[in-house]
Amino acid sequence: MSLLAGLKDALAFWRPRKPPVPFAVQFKRFQIILERNNRILELMADMGDKLGGEYVFDRQYILTACERLADLVFKLISDLSVLTQRKNVELFLAFERIQHQIQEELAGRHSFPNLSLTLPLEELNRDLSEEAGNKLANLGDIKNVLGLAVPDGFVITTKAFFDFLEHNRLPGLVEEGLDRWDGKDEKALEELSRDIRRRILQGEVPRPVLAQITAKLEALGTRHDLRQALFAVRSSAWGEDTEFSFAGQYESVLGVPARRIAEAYKQVLASAYSPEAWRYRLHRGYLENEMAMAVGCQILVDAETSGGLYTYVPLSLEREAVVINAAWGLGAPVVDGTAETDTYVLERATPHAVRSLDTARKETMLVAAPGGGTMLAPVEEGRRNLPCLSPERMERLTQAAMAIERYYKRPQDVEWSFDRRGDLYLLQARPLNIRPSEPDFCPLPGEAMREAEVVFSGRGTVAQQGVAVGRVHIVREDDDLSDFPYGAILVTRYTSPRFSRVMRKAQGILTDVGSVTGHMATLAREYRVPTVVNTGVATTALREGEEITLDATQNTVFRGAIRELCRFELSEAEVFEESGEYRLLRRLLKRIAPLNLVDPHSENFKPSACRTFHDITRWIHERSVEALIGLSESHWRGIQATPRRLVTDIPLGLTVIDAEGGLSAGEGVREVRAEEVSSVPLAALLAGVGDSGMWGTDPVSVDLGSFMSSVTRTFTAASAEPRTMGRNLAVVSREYMNLHLRLGYHFTIVDAYISNRINDNYIYFRFLGGVTDFIRRSRRARCIAEILERQDFRVDVHGDLVVARIKKLSLRRMRQKMLVLGGLISYTRQLDVRLSSDEDIALHAEEFLQRIAPLLEV
Amino acid sequence: MNGPADTAPRKRILVLDDEPIVCKRLKPAFQKAGYEVEAFTDSVQAMARVEQEHFDAVITDLKMEGVDGMHFLTRVKEVSPDTAVVVITGFATLETAKESFRKGAFDFVAKPFKLSDILDTVRRVLGGESRG
Repeated sequence: MSLLAGLKDALAFWRPRKPPVPFAVQFKRFQIILERNNRILELMADMGDKLGGEYVFDRQYILTACERLADLVFKLISDLSVLTQRKNVELFLAFERIQHQIQEELAGRHSFPNLSLTLPLEELNRDLSEEAGNKLANLGDIKNVLGLAVPDGFVITTKAFFDFLEHNRLPGLVEEGLDRWDGKDEKALEELSRDIRRRILQGEVPRPVLAQITAKLEALGTRHDLRQALFAVRSSAWGEDTEFSFAGQYESVLGVPARRIAEAYKQVLASAYSPEAWRYRLHRGYLENEMAMAVGCQILVDAETSGGLYTYVPLSLEREAVVINAAWGLGAPVVDGTAETDTYVLERATPHAVRSLDTARKETMLVAAPGGGTMLAPVEEGRRNLPCLSPERMERLTQAAMAIERYYKRPQDVEWSFDRRGDLYLLQARPLNIRPSEPDFCPLPGEAMREAEVVFSGRGTVAQQGVAVGRVHIVREDDDLSDFPYGAILVTRYTSPRFSRVMRKAQGILTDVGSVTGHMATLAREYRVPTVVNTGVATTALREGEEITLDATQNTVFRGAIRELCRFELSEAEVFEESGEYRLLRRLLKRIAPLNLVDPHSENFKPSACRTFHDITRWIHERSVEALIGLSESHWRGIQATPRRLVTDIPLGLTVIDAEGGLSAGEGVREVRAEEVSSVPLAALLAGVGDSGMWGTDPVSVDLGSFMSSVTRTFTAASAEPRTMGRNLAVVSREYMNLHLRLGYHFTIVDAYISNRINDNYIYFRFLGGVTDFIRRSRRARCIAEILERQDFRVDVHGDLVVARIKKLSLRRMRQKMLVLGGLISYTRQLDVRLSSDEDIALHAEEFLQRIAPLLEV
Repeated sequence: MNGPADTAPRKRILVLDDEPIVCKRLKPAFQKAGYEVEAFTDSVQAMARVEQEHFDAVITDLKMEGVDGMHFLTRVKEVSPDTAVVVITGFATLETAKESFRKGAFDFVAKPFKLSDILDTVRRVLGGESRG
């Protein structure tokens, strides 16, 4: 800010349009905002917790929580309007927008009707099953959440299906036909079916749908040679691949050249009205308006080997196994049972040892025909009797299939191919329903659980429910994660988002410390990895490599493997994650919890860009902190509370304004001592400044270059903030501190709230300025950044500006962080002068951390 | 969790809540812990079962569409005084809690609740283990 602009701002304040609101009143308002802000975050976290599966909740909970949340957010906007004396129209509009979407979701209407006629695979997930059908939505999860390869492609949505029917005037005909049908006359149904299918096959694909298909093909053309590539065009209807498999009811067309996709598309649509498919739906009580057919168009894998896999064959407990069927070439003959196939039986438990190999003589295989379609070809003599999967490929395939099973918590029926380069592709995954019919054959886990030794139970909080059996792998803070063993249970001291790297390998996660509202818990839910955080004892109670059973639904860890528990979970009547309430809450939270406004310096950090309640809350928080800093900086003369001078050994020149409970000195006293500071953050910071012994009274030798530089800077950037020159200010309450500190030419802001409520706690630290040249100043910035990063802060460095944030730690750990900041303020006072080379950065960071360490042990 | 020898028959639990999700979640959780469980979303059917069979514990919602859980609680206690009743409700007030206890409820659990909490409650009333 230029001197002139600064002066203008300062003067503008004194233009007395309205009598200024007393600072104490404003500060109270600010605290109310913080308070409400925290209640909103807590409620959002509470709703997020419910997705973890530890709680039983019903629709009433969802309704009540949404109502409370909307009320809090509305009031928060009103609070801000009072604090900043603005109307905040944009914010209220954003609120109305989000609230409307929530109401629509609650009323059972999808508030985001996806009107796309096609969608690329990389955008698909389970939430798009209405648009993409279940088969392709599942493939979207497999690709985008689980990170497994599926053939590249896109889906023609159910919206396109409805458009197609409408365009060809079919809905009326279907409806009339069914109305006329008496429900018994098979011949009549077949007649109707023939008529509808003929009309579909002769029908016209609407122009916008064709245009979209072309656009998607063009996009694929940048990655594949479309003159060569053939497609698999496959049905993906509503309800397909769910509890009703519809297996084999709808048609897939293999080996389709790009130019003939529209034709194949019609063929697949027509298969929805085959007499068999129609009867299947009618028998299961599907209404005609529940019929919608999306169609997947994926590049046909140049398959060397293909087949099917069941992750669970319901034999007795001792014999439960994974079964793979495989043949050379494409997989269709394996799936429809018309080919001789190899059968491999593997252990379900890691490392999936092979139990039996049954290699068939395979005379023919299905391959893509040149120019389109498929054909049977003879298998070369030398390969006919060979097993078509190597043990390595069997293991890779089984690991992938088990990852899908763990995610859906259901045994899976998986179709797959290995291409000629040895890459594995998942073509389809559908749940296998296992229902143990003989109870004796399949003992309930109750008995086994009573026998088992409980390592610990009821400790910590469930972040994601589920059961996991595996070996303990303890990860220390700096451990390399690249060799994390597949199928292990991650046991670690702290939660950290860096564990997202191993979530696809880990069966379960246990931490000593951490909260369910943290980033890692969100990720665990995303990947559905059974997770319990904050157990306090996991890393000490469990030994590396021992086998345990983690029941993250009942929050208990057992020694040894209780396979009955796994089996019980796999055969539960309904998977919690598939329940309507879960899905509703999950959809609602998408309008509530994601944070899009992350960077306050971004152009998009504005009310009109708020897409969720969290965004609104975040914006208001930032705006109100800014408003308070503005008030305390430019307005301190008008503050009603008595400003007091802090008397310390170290000349900080600090004036403290106590808003509430931050000082224990009596009224009217103009000076306070450090012992009289009862504000938790300020007291800790002062302790760090003083007790660290790093203030350093020794004169620092300044070489001539930096000295000259410091002289010139004195009259330029360093004097850009005339209002705060020589005046250091802290506004405090018992838990809060807002500190503006200028020491030498370093300008530090610390804004912190530290209390017993972990979720409210945060520290914001900003450091800028300094003598010497820019290179030395950025060295210092990097040194500070390194220190703070190693102290768990999230740090951004822009040139010589350092911004560091940390939040949601316990009171004790937050105080430690304030001690570090205090020490750092002392230590870095003239640090830039000492940093004459890049190597010095690490040295000084190390020196600081060693010197501060004893202070943190208390 | 080393319990007594498996000699006695499994303890029986009846769950009544008009929200299917509650039944769907409680039933497997109690089965897993070794209880025999029947779950109902319809109070008439549930009452009929209570009159036919003896249950060691009944878990019932208080506010249901068209049914008064308090009435159900009273009837259960009339038919089978030694059946322990645990009340679960999303509209927990001190008044309803007091009334439930007066009518003989063993415990009162506010929704939403943790699965482990309701399991503990039932273990407490049925004497620690699912087999007596």
